[in-house]
Amino acid sequence: MDFLANPSVAIYTAMAVALVVWVAIFAYLLRLDAQARELKRRMEQVPGEQTAPRATLEAQRSSE
Amino acid sequence: MMAPFSHTATGKKAAMALRSQLAQGAKFLLGLWMAGVIVAMFVIIPQYEGLGDAGRIIIMHVPTAWVTSLAFVVSGVFSALYLFRRRVSDDASAVAAAEVGFLFCILATATGAIFAQIVWGVFWNWDPRETSILVLLLIYAAYFALRSAIDDDNRKRRLGAVYNLFAAVTMPFLLFVAPRLADSSLHPNCAFIQGSQCDGITLELSGARIGLLGDSKLELKSLERQGDLVVADVNVTRPGYQVENHRPSFDLASGKPADRPEFDGEQFMLAVEQVDLATGTARLNIEAPGSGLLGNSRTLLTFFASMIGFTALFVWLYRLRAQLLMGEEWLAQRERTYGFPS
Repeated sequence: MDFLANPSVAIYTAMAVALVVWVAIFAYLLRLDAQARELKRRMEQVPGEQTAPRATLEAQRSSE
Repeated sequence: MMAPFSHTATGKKAAMALRSQLAQGAKFLLGLWMAGVIVAMFVIIPQYEGLGDAGRIIIMHVPTAWVTSLAFVVSGVFSALYLFRRRVSDDASAVAAAEVGFLFCILATATGAIFAQIVWGVFWNWDPRETSILVLLLIYAAYFALRSAIDDDNRKRRLGAVYNLFAAVTMPFLLFVAPRLADSSLHPNCAFIQGSQCDGITLELSGARIGLLGDSKLELKSLERQGDLVVADVNVTRPGYQVENHRPSFDLASGKPADRPEFDGEQFMLAVEQVDLATGTARLNIEAPGSGLLGNSRTLLTFFASMIGFTALFVWLYRLRAQLLMGEEWLAQRERTYGFPS
């Protein structure tokens, strides 16, 4: 592994490390972006959607 | 009667799908763009004379600092909009932009500290630039602390927005003005934006041969031609130091400074930036290591590519974070409405 720190190779080693770091960050961001879009899609769907039966909610409120 | 409505709805859906596809394409393009900037930073731009490979860090350091200032301005604008319109999405955008700005501010500080270690020999030496960016970091850390200390959502948003406006006002002063007011900073302020001392001072053998540059007194004693070189004999008096004699030179063939002698015990260099033998005048300047880094066209192009890439990355990041914050808000609202976590 010592050859990676050789002055003539070190600049390419540094570049490879920087590229790997960027690719990892970028992949993570893309994944996060996809999840955020899914969340947004669900948020926009909600007005017409009932997550729990109305009767259950009313029963719960009346018991409080 | 249904046809126009369904036609409009379909058109709207198609436009949204196209927009989404374009946004996805732009994100992939940004990934490739930044990868290209990294390759250019290491392979395409030349080494900077006297700094070696350390000079390459400007491609990351300055754009991160630029994004910091942009992010804090955007954050301030959204805070003002929140106070005006009271929309939760404006508050989420303000927080998201401040968070991304804070992250980039840390990156700018870290890359600057790495540069300082290589060039100045120490990670941190309380240079005016280092001190002002630390103060800025503390101001925004206090913003996040303030928000997390208040439980009531409306109060938190209102007070946070007011504080953020004050924080945004300090940013230009701390990033751009304060470091340039200092007479003695090792930070290469003249790399891109012209500071107060970037132009140097013109001295004349038969006229004003003594002048002040920052807190240093310069005296031009002679100009001597040696082939293509013009060597200036200069006495420099700095507060707390003996008079130093330096002989910087200027290359007439290339039209650029040749030898830049360093001051005793410090890394500032004395350079002759322009010379006119007929009138006996010379423009002298005191440079910090890294001054004029962007003089090379390949470096300048890579620098601008990096600025564009980082700006696009900021826009993506803060919008993404704002979306997630709105998601959190939506979940909290559902919990409040239905009385149990969904």
